[in-house]
Amino acid sequence: MIHYAMVIDTVTCIGCGDCVISCQTENKVPIGLNRDWVVEATRGTYPNLTTEFRSERCNHCSHATCVFACPTGASHYWQDTNIVLVDPGKCTGCKACIAACPYDARLIMRPQGYIDKCTFCHHRVEQGQDPACVSTCPTHCMHFGILDDPKSQVSRLLSSRKYKSLMPETGNEPNVYYLY
Amino acid sequence: MVLIRFLQDGLAEMLRGGRLYWGWIFFLLALTAFGGWFYVGQLRHGMVVTGMSDQVSWGFYIANFAFLVGIAAAAVLLVVPAYIFHRKDIKKAVLIGEGMAVAAVITAILFVVVDVARPDRLWHLIPVIGKFNFPMSLLAWDVVVLNGYLILNVAIPFYVLFSLYRDKEPNFRLYFPFVVLAIFWAISIHTVTAFLFSANSARPFWHTALLGPRFIASAFVSGPALIIITLQIVRRFTAYHVDQGAIKTLALIMTVAMQINLFFVGAELFTDFYNESTHAASIHYLFLGLGGFDALRAWIWTALALNIIAVTILMINPLRENMTFLNVACVLGFIGIWIEKGMGLVIPGFIPTPLGEIFEYAPTFDELAISVGCWAIGFLVFTLLAKATIAIELGHIRYAHRTARGAAPRRGAGVRPAHATGVHKAAFQSIGAAQAKGDQS
Repeated sequence: MIHYAMVIDTVTCIGCGDCVISCQTENKVPIGLNRDWVVEATRGTYPNLTTEFRSERCNHCSHATCVFACPTGASHYWQDTNIVLVDPGKCTGCKACIAACPYDARLIMRPQGYIDKCTFCHHRVEQGQDPACVSTCPTHCMHFGILDDPKSQVSRLLSSRKYKSLMPETGNEPNVYYLY
Repeated sequence: MVLIRFLQDGLAEMLRGGRLYWGWIFFLLALTAFGGWFYVGQLRHGMVVTGMSDQVSWGFYIANFAFLVGIAAAAVLLVVPAYIFHRKDIKKAVLIGEGMAVAAVITAILFVVVDVARPDRLWHLIPVIGKFNFPMSLLAWDVVVLNGYLILNVAIPFYVLFSLYRDKEPNFRLYFPFVVLAIFWAISIHTVTAFLFSANSARPFWHTALLGPRFIASAFVSGPALIIITLQIVRRFTAYHVDQGAIKTLALIMTVAMQINLFFVGAELFTDFYNESTHAASIHYLFLGLGGFDALRAWIWTALALNIIAVTILMINPLRENMTFLNVACVLGFIGIWIEKGMGLVIPGFIPTPLGEIFEYAPTFDELAISVGCWAIGFLVFTLLAKATIAIELGHIRYAHRTARGAAPRRGAGVRPAHATGVHKAAFQSIGAAQAKGDQS
């Protein structure tokens, strides 16, 4: 299994939301819906405040509870990778995956009624390109690559910087990392 | 040939009845049509007609589903004393209980179908032509156990009734293994339904080992409550004799189950509230409200109050023996568990979301109308099954009547076999008595 990972530097992220716009453009996400979003987390008390911007999306977990939960196999791993996709033609819209997802990463497509989500832009990855959000980021705070390769940029960043992932305690083994 | 006649006679009996019977059937059909009309609307416009959202993705439908699986599982409370302990009084009620299980499972499945945004794609669940994600997906498990339970609860009464129809004693050795299977299966359907929720590690409100036991305990309250009321209706409107012993036993089971259920609720409340962690956010929202949002507070406190009043009535012996008080306790307990296991369990699991947002949920009118339609279908299925079952148990329909029709066209003039024993003998005696009465007049 090839482990693709995204590493996002919260120190250089300015919270512009370009990742959200580029995703909507690239993947033709209908207006009003989005596959990724930016969280502004504020810590501390006034006047000693710090703000952390986090561009969040599906974590393409190595142990994806949504893939387990799906009764028809519509939620699946793309080829031999950790990229989680939904086959719209097979999705009954039972919403078991939404209940199973710890990241709120799944959305109901209206009016078609299937579940949609971030695909790590696998159609671009296939051609050796970065996902749309990563390639658009104006501060280059987002990085995408293969975690198994120790020479890849994501591996080097994770070995040299402090990092965290979101809710690893659920056992999902998420693959989006935040440097801080 | 006998089988076809059996089905024909059964169906004919379902279409035979007085003004009250037809009034009830048409009332249910009207409600079904009412729900069906709104369901067409949901199919046309999509799930936007419901109050559900990306954040609260299961609502009133799944709440009813979880509750109804419990009703179905509770039939086991009649099956065990009837077939394992050979209680004669309960053996007379057991087929009605199994009919209720069939109706409840069908209604539960209906609620899942209306909750699914694309029912046209459900064929993907069929193995071979689709990919049935078994045994990974808990929903796939639920499909297996619910359909298996449906088949078992159709097959066993079908065999027993078919034997009675042919004036034969059902072969106990033949169907006993299936009865044992059905007993374990009943527990499994509700456990799997609980696991459907408790498997989600990101939803701390559900992610507790207590959920399975709690589901079983509360099912053994709501199930008997409905059966007790139904048996009284059967006793009131048909000639079928239901022994008070059956109702007494069910009331006792209900009492104990409600005590256990309330104990579980208390244990849950203590664990979450004594040292409140972030995992308690959902239960805090449910009971006390969170950040100014408290849509479910009235629901859960109502449920708790109803359950406490019900258990108080049930625990006082003279009140439990009194049919009026028992019925009050049944209705209160039934509604209390319906809220506790439905709106009070399914919805708060989604609030707040794992991201910490609060999106509240309230069912829309469309959702309520469709739910009413589903319940009406459930009542309709049960009414029809019970009608035919009672007629066969009373001996009104027999294959012998058909064969003897040429010689003795009168209804109820069947051949009475010498080997008829137990419950079936009682049925023959009652029809015999009815005949004697008819002859006098």
